[in-house]
Amino acid sequence: MSQPPSPDREGFEREALVHLDAVYRTALRLSGSPMEAEDLAQETMFKAFRGWHQYEAGTNAKAWLLTILRNTFINRYRRTKQRPEMVDITEIEPYTVFHDVQDASPAQTFFDRLVDDEVLRAIDALPEDFREVLVLSDVEGLTYAEIAASIEAPVGTVKSRLFRARQLLQRELYDYAVEAGYIEQRRDRP
Amino acid sequence: MSDPDAIDCHAAADQLYEYLDGELSPTVESQIRAHLADCAPCFGLFDFEETYLRFLEARTRAQGAPAHLRRRILDELFQHPEQPPRS
Repeated sequence: MSQPPSPDREGFEREALVHLDAVYRTALRLSGSPMEAEDLAQETMFKAFRGWHQYEAGTNAKAWLLTILRNTFINRYRRTKQRPEMVDITEIEPYTVFHDVQDASPAQTFFDRLVDDEVLRAIDALPEDFREVLVLSDVEGLTYAEIAASIEAPVGTVKSRLFRARQLLQRELYDYAVEAGYIEQRRDRP
Repeated sequence: MSDPDAIDCHAAADQLYEYLDGELSPTVESQIRAHLADCAPCFGLFDFEETYLRFLEARTRAQGAPAHLRRRILDELFQHPEQPPRS
């Protein structure tokens, strides 16, 4: 019985553990809990260590680790959960707030006044299918092809989900910024 | 004379995020770049959305894994290498 060789400590730290922040961050966005995120990140790293021979050298190790994380998350939590957000994905009317921020407040004010926690809270409130692609793309910088492989969906699905996720989040952040008094509401909106 | 390769505002807006994400072919990318150079409203929109994506990245990447988690993983994996964790 010959086992494929495990990576040495230096190699594993350099190739995999260097992405622990990304794995933990993503786990936090998926699970919504720091304790579960630690647990998921740890299990992901253990699985990566054991499955190291399956990692193709030269490919994006971060994308590989985030895929392991996603599968771990699904196996652990989603099995028992309903996914009600599946139904309304196409109902969401996407549109940019670009036109709204033109007149009342400069666009820069909108971006400058929102802090990390407010943005993260808005991301966490997105439907799971949207949150997932947005985090993989806009927080972790994966390509459309890497995201498609990770969530096992066609690139076209990634594109349309990402579009909707970005516009939906933008709209939420805009409404929040108006409510918090960070920016002025455009005058001609009711 | 209109350029046969020229695209309109609608076509540009349709590919807004693919353009900003660097997911288009060089040909389409240069068509859009040419349109943006000529069209102030589209340029404004693209500029706004690019700022938005940079803003998202800047506000969401500060959070890192706790130091004890990194230590624990390394300890589990390399203190007892003859017994890889089973979790």
